[in-house]
Amino acid sequence: MLEIENISKSFFRKVALDHVSMTIPSGEIFGLLGPNGAGKTTLIRIINRITEPDHGAVKINGELLRQHHLSLIGYLPEERGLYRSMTVEEHAILLGRLRGLEKREVKSKLEIWLEKFEIQDWKSKRIEQLSKGMAQKVQFICTVLHDPKLLILDEPLSGFDPVNVDLINRELLSMKSEGKTIILSTHNMKSVDEICDRVALIHQSKKILDGKVTDLQESAKTGEYAVKFQGNMIAFVNALWTGFEMVDKEVLGADRYLVKLKMRGENNLEDLLKTLLGQIKIEAVWEVLPSMQDIFVNEVQSKNTVIHEE
Amino acid sequence: MKNSWIIALRELKERLGSRTFLITAILGPFVILSFLYLLFTYGGEGKQNWKILVVDPKLPNCSTGLFDNKIMPSEDNAIKYQFLNRYVELEEFRDAPEFQDYDALVEINEKVLANKVCFVFFRKKPSLRMQTQLHYQIERRLDEIMVQQNLNVSVAEFRKIKQPLNLTYRDVYDPYDTSSDIRSWVGMFFGVVIIVFIFLFGMTILRSVSYEKSTRIAEVLLASVDSRSLMLGKIIGIGLAAFIQFAIWFTLIGLGLYFMRETIFPDVFDPSNLQIPNANGTVQDIAPQEYNAFVELVFERLNLFNMIGFFLTFFIFSYLFYAAFFAAIGATAGSENDGQQFVLPLIMLLCFSVYSGYYVMQYPLSSWSDFLHYFPFTAPVVVMVKLALGYEAGHGYELYLSLMILILSGIAMLLLAGRLYKNGILQHGHRITLFTLFRWMKRQ
Repeated sequence: MLEIENISKSFFRKVALDHVSMTIPSGEIFGLLGPNGAGKTTLIRIINRITEPDHGAVKINGELLRQHHLSLIGYLPEERGLYRSMTVEEHAILLGRLRGLEKREVKSKLEIWLEKFEIQDWKSKRIEQLSKGMAQKVQFICTVLHDPKLLILDEPLSGFDPVNVDLINRELLSMKSEGKTIILSTHNMKSVDEICDRVALIHQSKKILDGKVTDLQESAKTGEYAVKFQGNMIAFVNALWTGFEMVDKEVLGADRYLVKLKMRGENNLEDLLKTLLGQIKIEAVWEVLPSMQDIFVNEVQSKNTVIHEE
Repeated sequence: MKNSWIIALRELKERLGSRTFLITAILGPFVILSFLYLLFTYGGEGKQNWKILVVDPKLPNCSTGLFDNKIMPSEDNAIKYQFLNRYVELEEFRDAPEFQDYDALVEINEKVLANKVCFVFFRKKPSLRMQTQLHYQIERRLDEIMVQQNLNVSVAEFRKIKQPLNLTYRDVYDPYDTSSDIRSWVGMFFGVVIIVFIFLFGMTILRSVSYEKSTRIAEVLLASVDSRSLMLGKIIGIGLAAFIQFAIWFTLIGLGLYFMRETIFPDVFDPSNLQIPNANGTVQDIAPQEYNAFVELVFERLNLFNMIGFFLTFFIFSYLFYAAFFAAIGATAGSENDGQQFVLPLIMLLCFSVYSGYYVMQYPLSSWSDFLHYFPFTAPVVVMVKLALGYEAGHGYELYLSLMILILSGIAMLLLAGRLYKNGILQHGHRITLFTLFRWMKRQ
């Protein structure tokens, strides 16, 4: 869907992006991650042709990105702006028409979205009459109104309550299932874990990591397993003996525990289960995969350390 | 261009729906009409109708006074004379009820032929024009009486010989009297209208751009529209609002003037009032400066149909030139407050433009005037002044040359402002320096 080839951008002496390349396949949710000031917003603006790169190119469906391709893109910037004196409908018509829709189409699509979010009575309200969260919802609707093939959302969940976060996440997954491509720039790592298929991590204007979420987690995993059980802790520890190393323990209730452990030697999950069976009542066992939060923090910290050492 | 038009329509709708626009659209013409009404009423006091009592006691051994039937009051609408063949004391004239209708008393006696002193006692000081008329009419009749008494010439013959002499004063440095020519004020009026509208709507552009920048709406719009189209749409939309407001002003002021002409001041605009009757019944045009200059400015010299085309052309192109300038300032400002700092220099720039018009009125032939005539910041006012004064034969090309320079400058300013707008609209919290502006101008 989108190819970013060797993009560089400087604002006078400050380098915002340094030879960044990535490919974003169709029908996936792509997480664009990075600390504040890493260059994410600059990259997003370049994809939207708001800013021009000093070097490199952006291709959409194999073609060099041009002004007419913008109708394929829906963009929700991090710092949202709406005309406070305009009504929700007027806003939708303005932005919809700028994206190539006819007024009639905007009106009918707006009805569908307002119904979907159960906010039909907001249509004639002025933006200044809405709360911040309500305005965020309106902005989300305006972004997706023209049915874009590529959706770029910069911190779309900030300002939403958990119910609305869930609502937006479900909508994004639904759009993905329709074949749309979504670029999600966020600091909400829980959402990245939940809905992103692929991520790229930008740090200090360079891309330092990218790949499928599952692959990244697989490569970063530490061989930890979690066991949730009922029974005697001493019996559990005795059973582990020298074949396994307990890393962490959490008391869930009376004789109920969640324990994290690592294998020693050639032991594997099968050996662990054989060891524990009959000693305790196992409720659940799973391999602990690192969260995107862990991967993000580790990568950024390791890069910072390298930079400091240099 | 389609997106520019969408942006323009949004701007237009917002302006037309704003309370400020409606208030200005109605209040502006009302203020101007009120101002004109005051000028017509008080500026034209020379056209008031005066009733004058001529105290002309009977001469010794004569049944009539000196002036009896010599002044023909029925022929002058402005001054009505009534004669009284007895002495009236000053206090009597001032206080007696039968004299309260009279505006002034002219005291004539037999000594006047010898000493040429004649007192006029007024209740309210007459205008210069009224004084001139009184002086002219009384002195003329006095001449006729002296001729009748001392020369062997009939009054009719004397009137043929004695024609009024108009002394026309000319400045040796300005023999064509261009500096005080009232026509230049017509041009000045048009120029000031252009500048006022540019200022009002230029500030609207500046505020609108600053608002979109500070509220981050610009980024949402820029994801669909390129920066130049966005800027152009804004300029066109606000320009259309300015144009509509101008049309409303023009219509309301036009209707107001028509209404005044037909109802409030019908006599003021009666052409016959522009003439003074002569003793022999013929009429003589009065000099323009004796008439109400403001009435003449508006109704006689303001050749709307001739000037309106050039006015609109210069209005449009100077608006584009200045609007791009205002938009660029709004986009490059680091914050809304930063943008406000530019208001004073901008006001000074526009004041300079207005002053340039005045300067050209004073020194139309100076080389500075030539420069200001072509300088795009001042051209709209200066050209209007020069246009009103009239270009010398063979120099009409200067008007088109100035227009061409203004159009090219407008295009250059739009391109330059487009760069500043593009590079500045998403920058926040910085301090504007000339160096920054220069870098943004250089960057594509």
